[in-house]
Amino acid sequence: MRSSRTLGLIMIAPAAIMIVLFFLMPVVLTAVFSFTNMTTATGISGGAYQIAPNSLIALKDEMPEVVQQLTEPRYAIDEEGIKGVEGLALEPGIARELREKHLGEVFSSRREAERMIKDLTDRPSTRDVKQISEQFNRSVANLRFSSKEDLFASLDKFGFKMTPEEKEGLASATYTGWSWTTENFSRIASSPDMAQILFNTLLYVALVLVLFNTCYAMLLAIWTHYMPNVQATIFRSVWLLPRITPVVIYVLMWKWLAWDTGFISTFMGKFGYAPKNYLLDNAYNAWLFVVLINGFIGASMGMLVFSSALKAIPKSQFFASEVDGASRWQQIRYIILPQMRWPILFVTCYQTLSLLASFNEILLSTRGGPGKATEVWSLAAYHTALNNYAGNLEYGLGAAMALVLVIIGIILSLAYLRVFNYATLVARPLIED
Amino acid sequence: MAEKSQPSANYRTWPVILALAIVSLPLVLMYAYLFIDTVTDKQPAALMPDTLTLRHWTFLWQTPPGRPNIWLVTLNTLIFTASTTAVVLLVSSMAGYVLSRLNVPARGFFLAGVMVLHAFPSVTLIIAIFIVLQMVGLYNSLIGVILVKAAIDLPLGIWLMKGFYDSVPWEIEMAGVVDGASRFRVWRSLVLPQVRPAIMALALFSFLSSWGEFILPQVLAPGGQVQVLSVYLSGLIADDNNFDFGTFKAVGVFYVIPVLLLYGFFHKYLMNIYGGGSKG
Repeated sequence: MRSSRTLGLIMIAPAAIMIVLFFLMPVVLTAVFSFTNMTTATGISGGAYQIAPNSLIALKDEMPEVVQQLTEPRYAIDEEGIKGVEGLALEPGIARELREKHLGEVFSSRREAERMIKDLTDRPSTRDVKQISEQFNRSVANLRFSSKEDLFASLDKFGFKMTPEEKEGLASATYTGWSWTTENFSRIASSPDMAQILFNTLLYVALVLVLFNTCYAMLLAIWTHYMPNVQATIFRSVWLLPRITPVVIYVLMWKWLAWDTGFISTFMGKFGYAPKNYLLDNAYNAWLFVVLINGFIGASMGMLVFSSALKAIPKSQFFASEVDGASRWQQIRYIILPQMRWPILFVTCYQTLSLLASFNEILLSTRGGPGKATEVWSLAAYHTALNNYAGNLEYGLGAAMALVLVIIGIILSLAYLRVFNYATLVARPLIED
Repeated sequence: MAEKSQPSANYRTWPVILALAIVSLPLVLMYAYLFIDTVTDKQPAALMPDTLTLRHWTFLWQTPPGRPNIWLVTLNTLIFTASTTAVVLLVSSMAGYVLSRLNVPARGFFLAGVMVLHAFPSVTLIIAIFIVLQMVGLYNSLIGVILVKAAIDLPLGIWLMKGFYDSVPWEIEMAGVVDGASRFRVWRSLVLPQVRPAIMALALFSFLSSWGEFILPQVLAPGGQVQVLSVYLSGLIADDNNFDFGTFKAVGVFYVIPVLLLYGFFHKYLMNIYGGGSKG
């Protein structure tokens, strides 16, 4: 059996690699990113250290003497400056002597630097001294350093005297990249916007789940159950259309129904109502359409599961009940519903998760509007991280919001795993066709 | 028994049919007008079309300014859909066989893991996937979206194939092994033909789901050169100026016809997934 083991490992490798790369790694990375303050502004790779004027202003209250030092000019005799001196077309001895005797020296004021220049053997004129010293005027402001070490090295080179704590403080204040933070979670916990979005999400899931995914799907299944085969097939096909139609076209059709040049407006126009955008004119209508749009898709899965469960109920039970004079309602009440417990539980559980994570339809129809009336959690995460009007995409905050859903998803899936292993044992004939 | 195929013969069915017809009306109406509106014109405030026209279909031979060419977009969609389907079929038919028949370490763990992922809302990972693709340089490329979409459809594929392999009789493999074939040969020539319905079902499911996929291409490959039809169409819908339902619906019909044809021919296979399976 050794060969079958090797073959097994080879054959499962592609699946394992893809699942690790595109499922497990994103889960882990979502968690990692959620502890950063990544945005478009910080970029997604590591940033640089830049002592920009505005970061100095921000730092002034915290460590005034450091800022004071940093704003003072420094004169550093370096190769770049000496090249500049050579370009001034002065006595060649000046540049040579600077390079040989003074390279690497730093002066903390113009006066000290010029005193040194005046003492050179070639003795430049006062006007030349000013020109020469200008070549060595160096400031750390507006210089970019790719790492903390580079920043500290150049601070030391220019002779700034700082304690290690002050250096660290300066480094974190001037860092342009992202950094680790737990602020995303405190923002989620405290922001009133988030509370509103949470409420929207619960309302959305509850409405679609109860009205369409279970109740209406059950109604469809029972209705088509009592119908001749041909009609039943036709109606089932019609109700499967929303599921197989690409979501963009499906939403386009709803827009045609609801927009101010669309069907409802034209139809109501016949009775003297002014055309309006029924989809977005107020929050109630937007909610109505969001629930309808998603409900029509959601109804199909429940219908299929319930239909196959209904088919598995022995026909003799129906015939026997008819002989006993049962009404159709009594059949539904005493034969169908008691046997549908597991399918109903399954559809409810499964669709909860699907609904929590689905936002395609809302994004395409209302984009969360009007205002933020129909913004649900997953859509808000999408808007925060990948597509918002302000243009600064907050990857970190968006990842934190997605992480909340990821955690809910993992908990629910593990719960389903427990419940439905049991369920498939108990209710096996119900699910099978 | 034909007349007893419905469970209760002595009830009248027409009130139920009527009720169902009324609630199904919005869907029927939307679909009917989806097709009618693409080849007709009507007065602004009228419900009934009055003239036949082909002008809504001009997008097929004229590229509007600022939009990619429709045929390029269609080609992208085909490449995206075909590659995703191929990857899903290949990878999950192998992995499903392993999980059903071969003895590999951590098999039970893998099986449970696949089941959890199968119920897992993969869209929640899109932010991390977006950042990763940007880092590795696959952002705005078809390859990136294909791999991500295939990986997301994979748990369902593996689960489905495993279930079908389970129902293939062991005797077939025993016979092959006794005749001296390797396990790989047995899988390829003897077992794989037995699960053709599963492969058909998965191929159709994967095709439909990739063809209609919107959010992944929208986020991971929005550029004009790699746009797919769903992104193209959503760009049209989002364009609030010069809104013209006729043209948009023509693009929509152009986009939906392959889906309806495939579904019409093969829907019996697809029921294996939707009816017996569990993915919503």
